Amino acid sequence: MREKILYGAGILGTLWLVRNLYVICLVLPDETAQGAIYRNLFFHVPSWFVSFTAYFAAGLASIAYVAKRNPVADTLAVACVEVGLVFTCVGLATGSIWARIIWGIWWTWDARLTWALITAVIYAGYLMLRRAIDDPTTRAKNAAVLCIFSFVSVMITYKSIEWWRTQHPDPVLSFRTGGGTIDPAMESAVFQNMLALALLAAVMIAVRMRQEAALREVDSLRRMAHAR
Amino acid sequence: MDQRNFTFLFYGFAAAWAIVSIYVLTLVSRERKIRGQIDTVRRMLAEKENPR
Amino acid sequence: MRFARQSLRIAAKDLRAEMRTKEALNAALAFGVVILVIFSFVLDPGSEAIREMSGGLLWLTFVFAGALILNRAFARELPNDCLDTLLAAPLSGAALFLGKTLASFVLLIIVEGICLPIFGVLYDINWLLQPGLLAAVLLLATWGISVIGTVFSALTVNLRLRELMLPMLVYPIMIPALMAAMRLTTLLVTNEPISNDDWIWFRLLIGFDIIFTSLALGLVEIVLIG
Repeated sequence: MREKILYGAGILGTLWLVRNLYVICLVLPDETAQGAIYRNLFFHVPSWFVSFTAYFAAGLASIAYVAKRNPVADTLAVACVEVGLVFTCVGLATGSIWARIIWGIWWTWDARLTWALITAVIYAGYLMLRRAIDDPTTRAKNAAVLCIFSFVSVMITYKSIEWWRTQHPDPVLSFRTGGGTIDPAMESAVFQNMLALALLAAVMIAVRMRQEAALREVDSLRRMAHAR
Repeated sequence: MDQRNFTFLFYGFAAAWAIVSIYVLTLVSRERKIRGQIDTVRRMLAEKENPR
Repeated sequence: MRFARQSLRIAAKDLRAEMRTKEALNAALAFGVVILVIFSFVLDPGSEAIREMSGGLLWLTFVFAGALILNRAFARELPNDCLDTLLAAPLSGAALFLGKTLASFVLLIIVEGICLPIFGVLYDINWLLQPGLLAAVLLLATWGISVIGTVFSALTVNLRLRELMLPMLVYPIMIPALMAAMRLTTLLVTNEPISNDDWIWFRLLIGFDIIFTSLALGLVEIVLIG
């Protein structure tokens, strides 16, 4: 039953994305300077928001695991980091392609991009650590500690790289600038895509969590079988 | 729709969808592997029960 | 008070053990000098570029050489079940961690203290012009590196691929402290004044140290004991 709900939500999310794609490509007006490529924004920005939210959720889940030692918290943490990393890759790829057109280069070491790459490396390290530890309890608690450190570091790095250099376009969404820099239709499209991607991300996290729980159960069954 | 730079927009969207699809595919393959493991363990447990 | 005494005792034990063999120290120093030599091929010694990169070069050397020392913080306790004995002893995980961090810190300062004059000679840079502030930067940044390195040494102590995983995990997390240290060291070693904008890096270093030391002291018990 739960499976059906999950897959239903997944399909709903995908359909919503397709509808958004239609709006993005055919309904919205053009931007004067950038040509078609500005529409990249509608996947780029939502991916980053979803990704960062996932990392934040992973951090909270890790704190919950440290406090309560509930295995579900550990499962949530790993699922969120994985899905977060997927959307970070999407953000990096879409950003890179946009940059190729607008700035003429695939990559530059400005504040946001550097931070993005560092974040990706940090959380890839988290997944590598998990893979390196076999015992589930040790893996869960060590990974939880690493996740907390990673998240704090990601936040500090965000601020400090901003002080280091900046070339990235300044914020245009109205809650950041107080309104007036972006067409409201475009802004609503960004938010719609954000929600659609968030829905998809939630479905993927839920599926991943179920798989992790199944893996845990298989592991304990296997121990039981060997013990007899 | 303004057609300038359309190819790269297409690449951008294609990259985004491709990355997400690859992840979904890894999830699906992992599901299949887990089912295989469950069957193996079930068989192991059944063998442990029956010879007695 | 007991906490402080226990930490100091652990630090003294580690330092005494290290000073008897000087394995990690020699390896780190040798590696540091090798890096300094290799960089001389990257950049033209005596050029303006060296002066701009001096902070970066120095801290890269310190961090790469330091990884050898940080790795051994908990790895040295693996043979003969020493780690289990330490954990069974009546001292908290935090005291054990603090003692090891102190020991790593001292060893790293020794490595830095020896590499700095070598750097000065090899690249013809007089680094003694603002010694007080330079010392402050070295102490603050090295403490941050020691804290992170020792916690992650505890995290990775039981892994097969420990020597690979430790640097991979530690370097990205240390980036804010490294950035601040590199920026400040470049300014101080080339005798530039610290502008008002640059004091932010000092504040970053102090904040980094405080935040991660508290986090580490709180969480290391979980890593070590569970």
